[in-house]
Amino acid sequence: MTPGNSKLSSKKGPKDLLKSKGVLVGITALMAYGVTRRSKTGLALATAGSLLALNASRSRKETQSHTRARFLVNASPEQAYELWRDFANIARFMRHVKSVQVLDDTHSEWIILGPMDAEIRWYAEITEDVKNERISWRSRPDSIVQTSGSVEFQPDRIGRGTYVSATVRYTPGGQLSKAIATMLGKHPQFMVREDLRRFKALLETGEVPTTLGQTHGPRGVHGSVEQVLFRETGNLAEPQAAHAYSKTA
Amino acid sequence: MKAVCWMGKENMQVHNVPDPTILNPRDAIVRITSTCICGSDLHLYDGFIPTMEQGDVVGHEFMGEVVEVGPGISRDKLKVGDRVVVPFTIACGKCQSCEDKLWSCCDNSNPNAWIAEKMMGYSPSGLFGYTHMLGGYAGGQAQFARVPFADVGPIKIPDGIPDEKVIFLSDIFPTGYMGAENCNIRPGDTIALWGCGPVGQFAIRSCFMLGAGRVIAIDCVPERLEMARAAGAETLDFSKVDVLEALRDMTGNQGPDACMDVVGMEASGHGVVFMMDRAKQMMRTQMDRPVVLRQAIIACKKGGTVSVPGVYASFIDKVPFGAYMNKGLTMKTGQTHMMRYMQPLLERIERGDIDPSFVISHVLPIDQAPEAYRTFRDKRERCTKVVLKPWETAAAA
Repeated sequence: MTPGNSKLSSKKGPKDLLKSKGVLVGITALMAYGVTRRSKTGLALATAGSLLALNASRSRKETQSHTRARFLVNASPEQAYELWRDFANIARFMRHVKSVQVLDDTHSEWIILGPMDAEIRWYAEITEDVKNERISWRSRPDSIVQTSGSVEFQPDRIGRGTYVSATVRYTPGGQLSKAIATMLGKHPQFMVREDLRRFKALLETGEVPTTLGQTHGPRGVHGSVEQVLFRETGNLAEPQAAHAYSKTA
Repeated sequence: MKAVCWMGKENMQVHNVPDPTILNPRDAIVRITSTCICGSDLHLYDGFIPTMEQGDVVGHEFMGEVVEVGPGISRDKLKVGDRVVVPFTIACGKCQSCEDKLWSCCDNSNPNAWIAEKMMGYSPSGLFGYTHMLGGYAGGQAQFARVPFADVGPIKIPDGIPDEKVIFLSDIFPTGYMGAENCNIRPGDTIALWGCGPVGQFAIRSCFMLGAGRVIAIDCVPERLEMARAAGAETLDFSKVDVLEALRDMTGNQGPDACMDVVGMEASGHGVVFMMDRAKQMMRTQMDRPVVLRQAIIACKKGGTVSVPGVYASFIDKVPFGAYMNKGLTMKTGQTHMMRYMQPLLERIERGDIDPSFVISHVLPIDQAPEAYRTFRDKRERCTKVVLKPWETAAAA
């Protein structure tokens, strides 16, 4: 792996404040939900929420994280490589990536959705590109976000498709923000797994399954909170991503 | 459009909601002409299945006319104007599971697969109008529905066959049939079957189609036992006899070759263990009451098969696994692999082998769905199966 991000940000400051604000909102939501359920489950949820927060707030260590996921897809390495290599496709299966604009053969501009859906823009370069086998990329050193990733395609030995392994390195925040991120489905390990799951669906079926934007009755407070807890607001594919693609394709 | 929405435990309401729209290229929109309440909807109604959301549109047995087709579907597969029955499982048709014809285990159709993976290891397919763990797709007890991967699931129905004869291809007829097929029936076998609801009725008839010699049907609702006898089954009323003793006697101390649990997680029973199950279910420490499954395992012949089409949601206690292991039993289960069965069973209906409309007891406008749920759950008014008509309004009574 390329050591693209040797400098880890260890400064604490306004960013942490923002994170703890997020935590507060999340925990209040969980507890409010628990209390309004007026049931044992609800009470348990509220308690769990507070314990989670308490536990998380105790240990604040900053380390560089490294997450990996591996899926067997029903396609050839060539097909898998081709879909991934066109970085414009990335917004179709990486939920938190709003768009990737390909600038030239190795450079691209990414817009990702950060906390509170704020847009963060950064540049990436492809550092390794072995056709049908491996692609690696990293953010440029002057970018706001320091991250790198790679994906490998290995054919299954008895012909059951291709193993796709994705690894993403990133510089995370503290444990507290991680706890809240977990609750909202934005834990990095979770995101990598889900991104790869969507990649598999897109490759095999030509689309990413979603229920975002479907019809429903009145959600009320409970229905809305349940949507957040089941990570449907943060994890389901945005159908617009597919539409945007079909216009340009 | 009008839609039946789950608003909480024992609280179904008909709401006016926005019409569904195409979200993905392989979607289609169906204008629904008939839709049913299924026994497994009652588990939702009773609040025993986790991961429902207030406001969910329920219903997974529906048919109608295609009114809109996404750009990803070729015209020879499906087009506007086609009359279709939609299967309750959603399958992509492209993943390894679908290629193996394990349609209800599709890898790709559940967008919330991570929740199911937490509980089950790996996620089965998405379902219409069910929990969010199984996709959370809006269901078909409505005037319109969005059907994902519509080039795989829906089966075209020729004009001239009334809805009532084919609507059950959407779930319960194939489900009963797969339950029977999972019994590994050899000619002349004896099958014991718990639960004579609509799926049970189709399972009884399917057992005979597959060559069973005897079917012993177990329930406690008189009209359902009557219906089972009409199909040629012998019946046992578990509220009146000791089922295990009766089965022992009827099979000459051999036991039935296969036992089928067509009841699932909300079985009725009595005795201390049943009371404990109920208590645990209330406390949410055990979501399922596996009374029937235990009996089926104990009752089954040595080397026999236990088939489980009944729905279970999570973990169960006190499964007699010693009996299961020592008797060398086989268990076969699963949500129905719909696309295997819809075409052959449609042909059986067209040939006149069976007229599935016999299970219908109530045909009602959709506005009466909330009361219909209660009637069906409490088995009042000899209610066996409710068909809802989304476009009819209640006649002035």
